[in-house]
Amino acid sequence: MLLSKKKALRYLIALFIIFTLNFIIPRTMPGDPITNLLGENFIASEATIQELKIELGLDKSLSFQYLDYWKDIFTLHLGYSYHFNQKVISIIFMRMKWTLALLFPSILLGAILGTLLGALSGWKKNNLGNKATTWAFLAVYSSPPYFLGIIFLYVFSFKWGLFPFKGFYETGTFLDVLQHLFLPILIMSTFAASRNYMIMRGSVLIEKEKLYVVYARAKGLYGNSILFRHIFKNASLPVITLIALDFGFLLSGALFVEIVFSMNGMGTLIYEALLSRDYPVLQGCFLIITIMVIAANFFADILYSFIDPRVKEKA
Amino acid sequence: MDLLVIENLKVTFQTPPEQVRAVDGVTLELKQAETLALVGETGCGKSTIALSILRLLPENADVRGKIIYRNNDLLLLPEKELAQLRGKDISLVMQNPALALNPVYSIGHQMTEPLIVHRRLKKPKAIQTAKNLLEKLHFKGPSNAIRAYPFEMSGGMKQRVLIGISVVLSPKIIIADEPTKGLDDRLREMVLKELRLVREMNRSSMIFISHDLNAAREISDRIAVMYAGEILESAATQEFFKEPLHPYSQALLESLPERGFKPIPGVSPSMIQPPRGCKFHPRCPDKKEMCSKQRPDFKRTKNRDVKCVLYS
Amino acid sequence: MLNRFGLVLVVLFVLIAILADIISPHDPWDRFEPYEKPNRNHILGTNDIGNDILSELIHGSRASLIVGIGAAIIATLLGLLVGLFSGYFKGALDEIFMGITDIFLMIPRIPLIIMLAAFLKSSIWLIMLALGLLWWTSTARVVRSRTLQVREMDYVASAKCLGFKNRHIIFSDILPNIFPVVVPKFMLTVATAMISEASLSFLGLGDPSMKSWGLMINFALIKGGLVNEMWWWYLSPGLCIILFVYSIVSLGFSFEERKKVNLR
Ligand SMILES: Nc1ncnc2c1ncn2[C@@H]1O[C@H](COP(=O)(O)OP(=O)(O)O)[C@@H](O)[C@H]1O
Ligand SMILES: [Mg+2]
Repeated sequence: MLLSKKKALRYLIALFIIFTLNFIIPRTMPGDPITNLLGENFIASEATIQELKIELGLDKSLSFQYLDYWKDIFTLHLGYSYHFNQKVISIIFMRMKWTLALLFPSILLGAILGTLLGALSGWKKNNLGNKATTWAFLAVYSSPPYFLGIIFLYVFSFKWGLFPFKGFYETGTFLDVLQHLFLPILIMSTFAASRNYMIMRGSVLIEKEKLYVVYARAKGLYGNSILFRHIFKNASLPVITLIALDFGFLLSGALFVEIVFSMNGMGTLIYEALLSRDYPVLQGCFLIITIMVIAANFFADILYSFIDPRVKEKA
Repeated sequence: MDLLVIENLKVTFQTPPEQVRAVDGVTLELKQAETLALVGETGCGKSTIALSILRLLPENADVRGKIIYRNNDLLLLPEKELAQLRGKDISLVMQNPALALNPVYSIGHQMTEPLIVHRRLKKPKAIQTAKNLLEKLHFKGPSNAIRAYPFEMSGGMKQRVLIGISVVLSPKIIIADEPTKGLDDRLREMVLKELRLVREMNRSSMIFISHDLNAAREISDRIAVMYAGEILESAATQEFFKEPLHPYSQALLESLPERGFKPIPGVSPSMIQPPRGCKFHPRCPDKKEMCSKQRPDFKRTKNRDVKCVLYS
Repeated sequence: MLNRFGLVLVVLFVLIAILADIISPHDPWDRFEPYEKPNRNHILGTNDIGNDILSELIHGSRASLIVGIGAAIIATLLGLLVGLFSGYFKGALDEIFMGITDIFLMIPRIPLIIMLAAFLKSSIWLIMLALGLLWWTSTARVVRSRTLQVREMDYVASAKCLGFKNRHIIFSDILPNIFPVVVPKFMLTVATAMISEASLSFLGLGDPSMKSWGLMINFALIKGGLVNEMWWWYLSPGLCIILFVYSIVSLGFSFEERKKVNLR
């Protein structure tokens, strides 16, 4: 089995609780529940409101509303946005691909770049070059990604005109899309890399003191081959955990970078929804992001069990 | 002919503010196809000698002296050339198999590594070689063992795997560091049998490190007794057990269960500030006045070397 | 070296925050000529409504540091408690605590805070509280695994045999040993909290009555600082964030490397 029953159960419970939270929040927040559920853009006569109340089931008891809520989730009814005049789920699906197009390459590149450079940094002597790399990654680590976005946007697009200044349109060719995505992906992957770099470096520093390293040398291994044949796999275990834990943080970072680059993804969607207090869209985004985060953790667990044989056994 | 010669080896560990003198002027020879037992209580510096030979000590170790193998001083050889000798000419069975094996790789992976690194064998070929070897060592179910991970094995199994790995490249010298430690009688016998087997496979020489005198007696041709970083006596094994000369050797034999379990009085000496003169004098039943003043030299008596004023 | 550099900077920033009223050249709410370039009177110029940017920056350190450090204190205390009890008592309590931790780990924190802030009137205190209550999980995990190690040590076992109370053992025997992992963890939490606060402010979710560095960036952008090339306006608060986070993070990591503790 790939995942222990306990782990799987925890995922389900997490999903259940976070979704329930999403049900509770608009109903307990100060303000008119109708507004909280439909958004500030919704203005209607008293009669329509009464009709809608019935349609939304707000006249029923909370427990019935709760049941309806779950029924809606399973049938992908996430409500209607009066700001965009569209079903929430279709807006999100339309926007999501741009967020994913930014996020996944960044996570992948960041993982490869960060673990590789971090491993070498922990393994090699701490000379000036090594220290300088660490300082540089630490500086990226300490920056809000959107701020890096602003600087890059200013330098590369505004000053030098190398990359487009404003968002892109879906009619764009592949090359066009790539040109628009280049800077955001560069920023997000460097940011992700900086986090992986620091963890991998620390992890290698600890692993290289272990006895199996001495034994590997006793068998005749030499130089970097010790790092890559023995230490790397052990040291990457904490990084895999981190990538999963970090997924939500990176996702949030990507949302902000999107806003800076006016990309047409979920980040800008959330921003617009926030400005117009379009609550259904905010809630819908929250649900979808939750599912993405849980899926990422699930995936990381499986990856972990492939790398660490001890986990598979326990499962 | 001497295959390996250790001359006046001194190892000091820098652990600020202190210095641990783990090995304090050790001279040893190992002959072709000979098994030398290195015995002494825990902490006297046995492992340090083993690791110095392959230059595997941590960076805080300061190593002096000479270790001559095939006209080369191993202490001066460039790291890369030394790496080619490690595992291939001189192999090591490490003291702590549970920690020496890498937890995330299968036994097969770790066993075939020397073949892949030194001989550049292809993986399937290497696996086959490893399997054959395990079979020769009477492993039950070699294919399963190859596929297993360290955490799935008992301590004894891991020890035997390490012995197996030590011999995959038919080395000239096998250094076995406490291979019988912590094993029950049955496993101990099995490991000793296995060591004899691997020794015979290539007529290798062996340095057998142990604090188990009986195991040393069973397996070795010659024995060297260590105390606080020094060798106090070295002799042919049979003669040694017939008549130990050094007072420490005598006390050591007296402390064996079958000779009445008499413990050696006093405590092990500090390795940071060892006693002046002969290091054993504070615990010695035969000590003379000069023992606390002057460190004795090796004297060849009755065809063996002893470091004690009684024989000078 | 890196370490000392970090320490000096952290202390410096804290001093600036404390002494803001004394050292800032102007009242940050005073209005001068708007959109002034840096000059002798306004070293970093003025913003769209004529506030002196340097004074804003100096006063902004308060809000930023309060959110960052405050949230980290809440998170660390929570994580410490959960981790200590979980690791010390093991068994059912551990299962429950770790289950809760796992669930909290999955919550998309920033989106949740955005949603909450959309419903509520956003303030520094709300953001600080929300960040603190959501960011304790990884501290709890680290503390727990460290506690599991420490409780097996000899003197803890002997303290147990001697019949000391659990509370006494936890707080006087185990806690001191947890510190080497908690201190760097705390610093990294400050960093995450500050980056999060800056990001939330960037969405306009900050507290306009108590301008933070993040909010300054937000204003600089929406009031045309970027397109008018007034880089001193939006760059300086950003650099302040980076510099402070950098110094505290480098402190944390060098502590971690020195003590060879694994934070994960
Ligand atoms: N890396 C090290 N740093 C400091 N002291 C060490 C180190 N390795 C071993 N020692 C010390 O050197 C002495 C000899 O150790 P060792 O060779 O392992 O003994 P043995 O193998 O005979 O039990 C011991 O006192 C031990 O504490
Ligand atoms: Mg030893």
